[in-house]
Amino acid sequence: MPEQIRRKDRGKIEDFLDIGNSAVLGAVEIDPEKCTGCAYCVKACAANALEIHDRKCRMVVELPLCISCGDCVAICPEGSISLTRFLKYLGFFRYIDRGATGPPRKF
Amino acid sequence: MNDPAETVTGPGGDFNFLEEVIYARRSVRFYKKDQVPEYLVRRVLETGRYAPSAGNAQPWKFMVVRDKQMIDEMTQDVTDFCRRIMKFADYLVPGQEHKTWRAKLLMRLSNNSFHPTPFGAMKLISEGKLGVWHGAPTVIIIMVDKRAPGKPMIDAGIAGENMVLAAHSMGLGTCWVSFVTPLEFKPKWRKKLGIRYPYKLATSIALGIPKGSPDGFVPRETQAIDWWEDGAMKVVY
Repeated sequence: MPEQIRRKDRGKIEDFLDIGNSAVLGAVEIDPEKCTGCAYCVKACAANALEIHDRKCRMVVELPLCISCGDCVAICPEGSISLTRFLKYLGFFRYIDRGATGPPRKF
Repeated sequence: MNDPAETVTGPGGDFNFLEEVIYARRSVRFYKKDQVPEYLVRRVLETGRYAPSAGNAQPWKFMVVRDKQMIDEMTQDVTDFCRRIMKFADYLVPGQEHKTWRAKLLMRLSNNSFHPTPFGAMKLISEGKLGVWHGAPTVIIIMVDKRAPGKPMIDAGIAGENMVLAAHSMGLGTCWVSFVTPLEFKPKWRKKLGIRYPYKLATSIALGIPKGSPDGFVPRETQAIDWWEDGAMKVVY
C-alpha cells in the first residue's frame, strides 16, 4: 500500500481519498504467532479495516480505512496487535500541530 | 474534596483512579446482548446532571432508549439517510467520477459533517457493514435547549463526557454516536422524540456491557501546546 495517496493516482479505487487531496492511512501490525483468530478486533474495528483470513486476523487487503483509533490494540486478549502508523490527512483537512506518538505519560 | 497529597504522589508518580479511567477509556463497538441494569443507567445519568454548564443553565435533556425495536427502527432510518447521501455523492465507487464534485461541494459547505472520516463511516453504514449503535442495548440521546446562555452544545458535551467516564469506571462500555442527528430531518422522529423548539438534537451515547475487555492504554499522538510563561512562549508536547 502506498504511504501517501496523491492526486496523480486517479483511476484507482483510492480515488475517494483524493477529496482531501491526499491522506496517510493508519496501519496496525498483527503478530501471527500470538493471534488466535477470535475476531474481537474485527468486531471492534470502527472502519471495517480488519478481517479474518485463514484463522488469523489481518488488515483488509484492498483498502483498509484504518483511523488508528487503537480499539483493536486495546481489545486483543493476546496483545498481538500494535499500531504502526497513524492516520494523517493532508491537503485541506490536514492535521496540524501534532507531535510524536506514545502511551500516556507520567509527569 | 481530597487533599492533593492523598491522590497525587509527587512528580512522576502513578496515575490515580480517575486518570486511569480517562486513559483506559476506549470507544466500545462490541456489546453483550444483556441489558444494562437500570440502577447503573440511573447512576450514569446522575453524573451528567452534575456537569458544569454556562450560568448553571443545565441546557440539556437526556433521553434513554432501552427498546430494542425502537433502536433498530432508528438504525434503519439513519441507514436510509446515509444511503440517500451516498446515492447523491458516493465518490468511493470507481467509474462514477461525476459524483466527486458533489462530494467536494458538500465537504466545503459543511466540512465537519462531511469530513472524509464521517464520509467513510456513512459509506459503511449505508452498506450495512457498520451498525449505528453497534448493537448496544441502551442509547442515551442528548438534546440541548437552543435558548441557553453561552455554548449549549459544549455544555451537552461536558455532561456527556461525565457520563461516559462514570460508565467506564463502573465497567460499562460507551461510544459517542452523533449519527443520531439525521433523525432530526424526519417528522416521525421529531414527533416521537419531541424534537421541537427550543430543543435541538445534539448527540447520543451507546451504552452497554462490553464483550471482551476493550478498555486499555494505547498510544496516541501528542499535540503541540503553546506555553506562555515569564514573558516568553515555548512549545511543549
